[in-house]
Amino acid sequence: MLIAIQVAITLLVWQTASNGLIPKPGNVAAAFTRLLATKQFWDNMLVSLGLTLKAMLYSIIITLVFAYLSVLPFFKSIAQFMVKCRYLTLTGLIFIFTLLTRNGSELKLSLLVFGIVPFFVTSFLSVITSINKQEYDLCKTLGYNNWQTLYEVIIVGKADQVFEILRQNFAISWLMITMVEGLSMSEGGIGTLLIKYNKYNDITVVVALQMVIFLTGLCFDWLLGSIRKWLFPYTKYK
Amino acid sequence: MTVCTKTTTLLQAENIGLQYDDKIILRDINFCIRDIHRPGMQQGQVVSLIGRSGIGKTQLFRILSGLQQPTNGNVFINGRQQVKAGDMGVIFQNYYLFEWRTIYQSLMMSAKQNQLLKGEEKQYIEKYAADFHLKEHLQKYPQQLSGGQRQRVSIIQQLLKGSKFLLLDEPFSGLDVCMLDKVSDLLLQVSTSDEQNTLIIVSHDISTAVAISDTVFILGNEEGQPGAIIKREIDLIERDLAWQRDIKSNPAFIKTVEEIKSCL
Repeated sequence: MLIAIQVAITLLVWQTASNGLIPKPGNVAAAFTRLLATKQFWDNMLVSLGLTLKAMLYSIIITLVFAYLSVLPFFKSIAQFMVKCRYLTLTGLIFIFTLLTRNGSELKLSLLVFGIVPFFVTSFLSVITSINKQEYDLCKTLGYNNWQTLYEVIIVGKADQVFEILRQNFAISWLMITMVEGLSMSEGGIGTLLIKYNKYNDITVVVALQMVIFLTGLCFDWLLGSIRKWLFPYTKYK
Repeated sequence: MTVCTKTTTLLQAENIGLQYDDKIILRDINFCIRDIHRPGMQQGQVVSLIGRSGIGKTQLFRILSGLQQPTNGNVFINGRQQVKAGDMGVIFQNYYLFEWRTIYQSLMMSAKQNQLLKGEEKQYIEKYAADFHLKEHLQKYPQQLSGGQRQRVSIIQQLLKGSKFLLLDEPFSGLDVCMLDKVSDLLLQVSTSDEQNTLIIVSHDISTAVAISDTVFILGNEEGQPGAIIKREIDLIERDLAWQRDIKSNPAFIKTVEEIKSCL
């Protein structure tokens, strides 16, 4: 009820405050409906979603490998360096990545993975460092060796948190996809569409596209949250 | 006096010392726990380690459990076998359990560690669950259990692993009067379920710990000396204060509790 009132007030303020430059909610809604009816939109949307999911999959695999290995001193420093890579900009690395990859698809994927992994590693390392010492102690008292402890405490015990990291960082991936698609427009995508409509000054469609991006993000957030609860039922008691 | 004999040494702590930089926490800790035999019944051992808060009880607890190495000295069990993590059953103060496992899964993991139960893990889990009134909670997660239920699960977990030694860190902490009696009964049940079962209770609740023990070790400081030592050993069997129900109202028991308090 409260949310409905808040949405109504927002729409009212938007309707009254918008002048000629900022499109009114009605126009955006019409553009949104038109957009959903076009094949071009769905093709681009699928390209973006496919690329994001692929990048997320690669990123989580790389993250897990380095995060699990970070318990060993040699890999700990590598994982810590990966955390620092959050401060690198993707724009400055396009040329290098272009030289290292064979086509636009590979370029976008590698840029995305490079952009996402540091955030994933940061989140996952903080999960590992905050593990309760008693979890290790309990394993020791049960007579587990180091590998059994690693499996029980970090791999199985933190699987739900891996999923939570995935959910939280989906927003980052989704944010980066539009940027990466803007950098390499060869295969389309929602980011390419945004740039195209921006170039034509079609603000109504741009806002409609933003709404699509926003709603898709919310849907994935809900979906990943629901899957987490289903896969890890104990999380609802935490 | 109750008829009993003390035979083989089950646990021997020899010259245990613990020091962090210049700070001495524990010094020359020496004690031994012997197997008690009572004719016609299974009688395990219940030993209390009593001391003030901050005296080093938890550190001694961790050393006895093999979770921490002492600066010097050794703990031996089953003859001259040096204790290592996994030899002892440990029940932590907050009854820590794997939050991501159901009770049944947690117990099964423990049972799988015990070669003697091979192929019969399920039956043993069900037996213990029935004995400890946990049968209807086996499919629950630890977060769904009360403190008392978690404590029982922790105990079963360590018993299934095959531990004859059970170390309990402050098992009476934060319990109300009704629960205190229940936990005391539970510990007595464990101690009498196997001749070899040995409970080492680390506590600052003198009265409750002493009421279920056969031996008390008092951990304290000596005047002008750094680091805690075992100041006294009290044999409650000798004083005819062991294994008796409603012992707390016995004048000799009250006197013993006062004596322990004066030592702290």
